[in-house]
Amino acid sequence: MSAAHPIPRHRAYRLLVTAAFRAEFQYGGNLLLTLAGGVVAQSVGLVFLWTVTTRFGDLGGWPMAEIAFLYGMRLTSHGLLVVPTSQLHSLDLAIRTGEFDRYLVRPAGPLMQLLCRRVHLPTLGDLATGIVVLSLAAHHVGFEPTPTALLYLGLALVGGALVEGACQLAVASLSFRMLSNLALRGLIDDIMNTFGGYPLKAFPDTARLALTYLLPVAFVAYLPAGVLLDRADGLQITPWLAYGAPLAGPLLYAAAYLLWRAQLRHYSSSGT
Amino acid sequence: MSGPIIEVEGLAKEYRRPVRVEGPLGGLRSLLSPRHVTKRAVDGVSFALAEGELVGYLGPNGAGKSTTIKMLTGILRPTAGLVRVAGLVPWRERERHARNIGVVFGQRTQLWWDLPLRDSLELIGRLYGVERARHRATTARFTELLGLGPFLDTPVRQLSLGQRMRGDLAAAMLPEPRILFLDEPTIGLDVVAKERIRDFIATRNRRDGTTIVLTTHDLDDVERLCRRIVLIDDGRVLYDGDVARLKERYAPHRRLVVQLADGAGWHGVRVPGVARDDEADDAPGQVTLRFDPAGTRVADVITAVLARHEVTDLSLVEPGLEGVVHRIYAARGAA
Ligand SMILES: Nc1ncnc2c1ncn2[C@@H]1O[C@H](COP(=O)(O)OP(=O)(O)OP(=O)(O)O)[C@@H](O)[C@H]1O
Ligand SMILES: [Mg+2]
Repeated sequence: MSAAHPIPRHRAYRLLVTAAFRAEFQYGGNLLLTLAGGVVAQSVGLVFLWTVTTRFGDLGGWPMAEIAFLYGMRLTSHGLLVVPTSQLHSLDLAIRTGEFDRYLVRPAGPLMQLLCRRVHLPTLGDLATGIVVLSLAAHHVGFEPTPTALLYLGLALVGGALVEGACQLAVASLSFRMLSNLALRGLIDDIMNTFGGYPLKAFPDTARLALTYLLPVAFVAYLPAGVLLDRADGLQITPWLAYGAPLAGPLLYAAAYLLWRAQLRHYSSSGT
Repeated sequence: MSGPIIEVEGLAKEYRRPVRVEGPLGGLRSLLSPRHVTKRAVDGVSFALAEGELVGYLGPNGAGKSTTIKMLTGILRPTAGLVRVAGLVPWRERERHARNIGVVFGQRTQLWWDLPLRDSLELIGRLYGVERARHRATTARFTELLGLGPFLDTPVRQLSLGQRMRGDLAAAMLPEPRILFLDEPTIGLDVVAKERIRDFIATRNRRDGTTIVLTTHDLDDVERLCRRIVLIDDGRVLYDGDVARLKERYAPHRRLVVQLADGAGWHGVRVPGVARDDEADDAPGQVTLRFDPAGTRVADVITAVLARHEVTDLSLVEPGLEGVVHRIYAARGAA
């Protein structure tokens, strides 16, 4: 009789994450140095934001501090997402090299194993920068940290992470059938990065609608930030959609996960 | 438990490879209007294995061996047909199935590339929920049997092929799976390493009763380990049965190699059914005879030789699997 027994998923996850961190530090990875690298990388975006807002004063009627708040929310969400899921980008590689075979013969979820194949420490820099920008901006816009507001902010940050994650997961799922979809993935990441942190009101209507319903960028940070900044009326969207924005994340992610499961069946391994 | 532990019926796998559309967003366009080329790698394979069997799954390059193993292990979903392993459909009940099996692919590792071998073994134990004391005992036993001691603390990426393969084998067997799948486990290994691995495999089968499916191109592995083989080609089963019976069917002849004394000549033997083997590569003073043991007794041949010649050495050669398989592949090529 086999000596193997089921273990809870959270324990499997902890085992795999710990292993990934240990492997990273085997390389002599230096936490502080890579963190600093991540912060520097994000600062480029911040300088751009600063340039734009000082040049124009405001965007779509949002003053600089509020844009910074929105930008901070989006960056924090992004950080919350990429710290645990950066390895989704390696799916193509794992499929091509046959590494993915290994995930399918072990008693744990293949997606979990993929995400735990390594850790990418610079993503911690994204998260740290996001939190710093958001905190400073919250102070400047006079954000009132009532329990309700804090709860909504927390849900919005996690929800925003899941919206971006759902888009990435859905597109990544196509890898099981396509030879390569790096171009499509790159496009989606670019759109998220470029538009996610700005008030969509500043863009033409077609762009705004596309970024709301086609690729749900608006749900990442724009809509919940509008609610928190008391701008719900000016969002050009049914209020309940704006208030309910944090729910979009879990719903979209669940849908993306179903797509992943369906596409996984088309996995055809590699020749050798 | 009765009934086969592995049941395969009418199993088929087609690979549909999308043809890439060139140009901007080519990936997306190949998804939306896909064009495919189809390759039927496994084409109606059926066999059943009883618990405790050790079977060689053989065939030339591209025959469909790895594809079959991937369906048995739950990596691939069959295009058609049935697979049941220990009562489970591998691709559908993947995680439960994973706890029943061990897998080694000679070409790539299952271990954590950047961690010391010791850590990988430890992780496997925990991930498979193996009870601590039992895991420690098994690890110690396998470390001894496979000689892992000297490189337990070396990161896997720095191990030699032979060391890594031994590590992989230990990892696959740590949860004491009921079934072990080995896809070319001795590829690229030296004689000593091969012997060590064969020993380990044989012992797991004999002592622990592990059911084992083995693919290999090294027929010494098969001679040493398997009583039964399943021979496939072009996705179909050519032969399924005893190694001994296969030899009888395809290479019924026995050979007697006679070494004549210095200066002695060859005068022939007059036993019906015995002839000089014209395929043999005889050294001077050496004569190879061939005969079918079903019609001619070995003792009669030897007596006849000794009666008329001065001989310094005699040896009886059994047909090798190598020659048999060679003959089958050649016949198939001619057909
Ligand atoms: N992932 C894949 N995609 C497309 N075709 C594949 C894939 N894997 C294998 N094939 C094709 O299917 C056929 C069977 O391949 P398979 O790997 O099962 O053969 P094999 O018997 O293991 O051969 P070998 O002895 O060379 O390892 C080959 O023609 C191969 O080119
Ligand atoms: Mg193969």
